[in-house]
Amino acid sequence: MFGLIGHLTSLEHAQALAYELGYLEYAERDLDFWCMAPPQTLDEIKVRSLTGQVIEGRYIESCFVPEMLSQNRFKAATRKVINAMAHAQKQGIDITALGGFTSIIFENFNLEQIRDVRNVSLDFKRFTTGNTHTAYIITRQMELVAPEMGIDLEHACILVCGATGDIGSAVCRWLAYHFPKADLLLVARNHQRLQEFQQELGTGRILSLTEALPLADVVVWVASMPKGMDIDPTQLKHPCLMIDGGYPKNLRTKIQHPQVRVLQGGMVEHALDIDWKVISSLVDMNVLERQMYACFAEAMILEFEGWHTNFSWGRNQITLEKMAQIGAASVKHGFRPLLR
Amino acid sequence: MVERGATLDYQSEAYRDAYSRINAIVIEGEQEAAENYVHIAELLADHREELLSLAKMESRHKKGFEACGRNLQVTPDLPFAKQFFAKLRANFQKAFAVGDVVTCLLIQALIIEAFAISAYNIYIPVADPFARKITEGVVKDEYLHLNFGQRWLKEHFAEVKDRLKEANRENLPLVWQMLNEVEEDAAQLGMEKAALVEDFLIAYGDALAEIGFTTREVMQLTAMGLAA
Repeated sequence: MFGLIGHLTSLEHAQALAYELGYLEYAERDLDFWCMAPPQTLDEIKVRSLTGQVIEGRYIESCFVPEMLSQNRFKAATRKVINAMAHAQKQGIDITALGGFTSIIFENFNLEQIRDVRNVSLDFKRFTTGNTHTAYIITRQMELVAPEMGIDLEHACILVCGATGDIGSAVCRWLAYHFPKADLLLVARNHQRLQEFQQELGTGRILSLTEALPLADVVVWVASMPKGMDIDPTQLKHPCLMIDGGYPKNLRTKIQHPQVRVLQGGMVEHALDIDWKVISSLVDMNVLERQMYACFAEAMILEFEGWHTNFSWGRNQITLEKMAQIGAASVKHGFRPLLR
Repeated sequence: MVERGATLDYQSEAYRDAYSRINAIVIEGEQEAAENYVHIAELLADHREELLSLAKMESRHKKGFEACGRNLQVTPDLPFAKQFFAKLRANFQKAFAVGDVVTCLLIQALIIEAFAISAYNIYIPVADPFARKITEGVVKDEYLHLNFGQRWLKEHFAEVKDRLKEANRENLPLVWQMLNEVEEDAAQLGMEKAALVEDFLIAYGDALAEIGFTTREVMQLTAMGLAA
């Protein structure tokens, strides 16, 4: 069985969804209440692959909302993640993806040091961040859409914002290997980490975001911030391909310009039959039917393939081989990068 | 939960003052638990021995927590603790008097046990080394008690379901009142109310789900009176 640990996009969204699902006890409550709310298994899911194989899974709502980060409720945020993981493990789920902010919180707050949660000793092998598949999908989105826009990746200027993160570093490695002549711009908040990464990568230029944005033919946005980001599209190169793989994915609504194309990064479309009663598009208002986060899809792929292991774990561990491996399995089971 | 009580001064006046009430609550809670299991044993004669052995275990826990107080040279404020449990105790006595074993089990084997487990779980990372050791041992036992009530109620789920809902409505709001009452003292010991409530909701919700309630019912039952 696979699991998906998710969260809602905002407090307002959480309240609206609780109302829609008939959980009135949760619908009218403020952030304090959500800080106390325990994880819930909200859906049982059946998925049929292109190969005909059928697997089962569960969606676990962590009750985390991004306001917990923007309002410094860090303890609550970390509890949501750890408790959702313990909840998944108690149900005997073999492989569970940490969706959205939950994997970022796990990483940034070093939750690896917390093993024992009540009477559960967390087995991290049962969890995956899904980042390898997300990185693979982002590179496919880039490869498929850039030529349509007349952008030649061989000679393009490509900005990766969040370059030292798990997904960002994987995308950079992929770019450095496949497009060694491209002008790779590296942007990240932690300058020291960025310099170390540049040395490890052996290529790329370190710039500030404001310096880099006007230069880029392609922007891969894989930084995550609780509140999102404002970018002026007139300051961008035209044409410009933006792949919004961060969280929340709201660049599309903020950037409207005929010469700028914004893709929802790290999203897949699927040709699979998925039976999920309550979740599907409800969980994220930006996600439509037959679309899904690539990180969630990774848990499904791992379950299909019987790879019950933390395929994606830790920071900076994603290799090109693993991206290729998960990519081949992704295609086999019916996932495609979202190109619209 | 990440930092481990690094800034707590276990010998400070403020800590020991708060501890006198929290420690008393724990001692009194274990004492009442022991008495409650003896009462429940009268109602469930078939399980008499198991219940009496649970009662004995609770008495052992009580002694352990008395030692924790002595270790910090704190005198537990037992009158405060008796008052703290008065309403829940009265409800238990009322149910026992009419032979309402379902309500008795809900109060003792579900609510009080879940309350204890969550409090101990949140306390362990911030406890002084002596108390930590004792509390860790107690927590292991507490999971067993929760299981007894769960097992019995699960076996009789169809006939006890409505009574459980009613008993939940009557008693769960008392838990929130009790938590509010000790919020400041708990904070002094490094225990955050939101964490306590969340842990309680998990333990209590898990028990209700195990007994047979659906996710939807569990969410409704556990949130009863929380926002009031």
